[in-house]
Amino acid sequence: MLKKPLKTAFMQGFIRCHDCGSLLKSDPKCLCPVCGHHVSARKPNSVQYTLALIISALCLYIPANIFPIMSVTQLGVAETHTIVGGIVALIQSDMVPIALLVLIASILVPLMKLLGLSLLLLCVHYRWQVNARLFTRLYRVIAFVGRWSMLDIFMISILVALVDLRGVAQVIAGPAATAFAGVVVLTMLAAKSFDPRLIWDHQLSYE
Amino acid sequence: MSLALSLAPLAYVACPECDLLLNPVVPEPGDKAYCPRCGYLLQRPRKRSIERTLALSLTGLILIVPANLLPMVGIKIFGNSQDGNLWTGVSALFKEDMWAVAVLVLLSSVLLPLVNLGLAFLIGFHLFMHKANNQLARWMHWYEHLNEWAMLEVYALGIIVACVKLAGMAELRFGLGLFAFIGLLIVNAMLSNELDCYFFWQRIAQLTKK
Ligand SMILES: [Zn+2]
Ligand SMILES: [Zn+2]
Repeated sequence: MLKKPLKTAFMQGFIRCHDCGSLLKSDPKCLCPVCGHHVSARKPNSVQYTLALIISALCLYIPANIFPIMSVTQLGVAETHTIVGGIVALIQSDMVPIALLVLIASILVPLMKLLGLSLLLLCVHYRWQVNARLFTRLYRVIAFVGRWSMLDIFMISILVALVDLRGVAQVIAGPAATAFAGVVVLTMLAAKSFDPRLIWDHQLSYE
Repeated sequence: MSLALSLAPLAYVACPECDLLLNPVVPEPGDKAYCPRCGYLLQRPRKRSIERTLALSLTGLILIVPANLLPMVGIKIFGNSQDGNLWTGVSALFKEDMWAVAVLVLLSSVLLPLVNLGLAFLIGFHLFMHKANNQLARWMHWYEHLNEWAMLEVYALGIIVACVKLAGMAELRFGLGLFAFIGLLIVNAMLSNELDCYFFWQRIAQLTKK
């Protein structure tokens, strides 16, 4: 038997303003009296926006991992690194903790975001009956960790500025840096455009 | 477009992440109120949130100047030394025609932290003086949305990783800018901890209603 559903604001004819959190009487196409923004019960076209951003991010994820992210010249010998190559180089020079950090920030986090958001979209689209609390937590983790992927980009910008001794020692950013920055921005936007309330809307039983 | 809607009776609030209708509880400062259904952190009141926001944002605005202008990290390879701060990274990327990455780094490490501190200061100042301003809601909106894109703490981690990578091939030295940057980082973290968005929005709603 189903548990008695709890009341959501939407069921009771209220809309929560996305920006200021005021609770308003449901009446679409209206402006919030406090902050002046358009109110809507759910983020408009949330699934479509999120899906489009995930697909774009996925397209950039491939060049981001194939092309070199930076090339390091030491004593006249140039060496190009991909993201994975940079991690391998760190392990070879016995810097395992830092290698682990970069592995998490530049490979695992973007991958987890892409897979996690796809899972959330599937859950919403097919109206899966899931542990919604757990899925909401997954969403929160995705939204929180997103920015930490910028680690590699910041590190490269620092190295490029400091190691600039033409011919002897030089670090040059590679094309993968642009692609990777695109992945980070697009996945952050994707997480932002997803509306976690959609997970709850299709649940028949309420905890 | 129709006229502004009437506000629902303040007897209820809705959870932003699961839309559950709730009776607003007012926790003691320092306590937290979570949504019973999805576990969202609804409220975390702070003591003297407005005054602390004002003080911290002002400190941040002062610290951001040396953090941007003074050298942070320098290296010495084969007798040649090179200093770097937040801007040198951006300009080096520009010189290599990586303008997209350069703009992103510029925004997330220099401009947006500055804008956010400025917004926090403006909002704090208006709420402190009980001054109504029809831009208050817009400032608060931008503050909340841009907060995620100001990435000083990620940049700090980037500095650490870069230094570890460089330690093997060059001599490192740390400048005053780095200490200002660490100070800015701490002030920024304290600011986002002390700024109680729920309370700020309530005050803004009160001011706009008048
Ligand atoms: Zn509003
Ligand atoms: Zn909730």
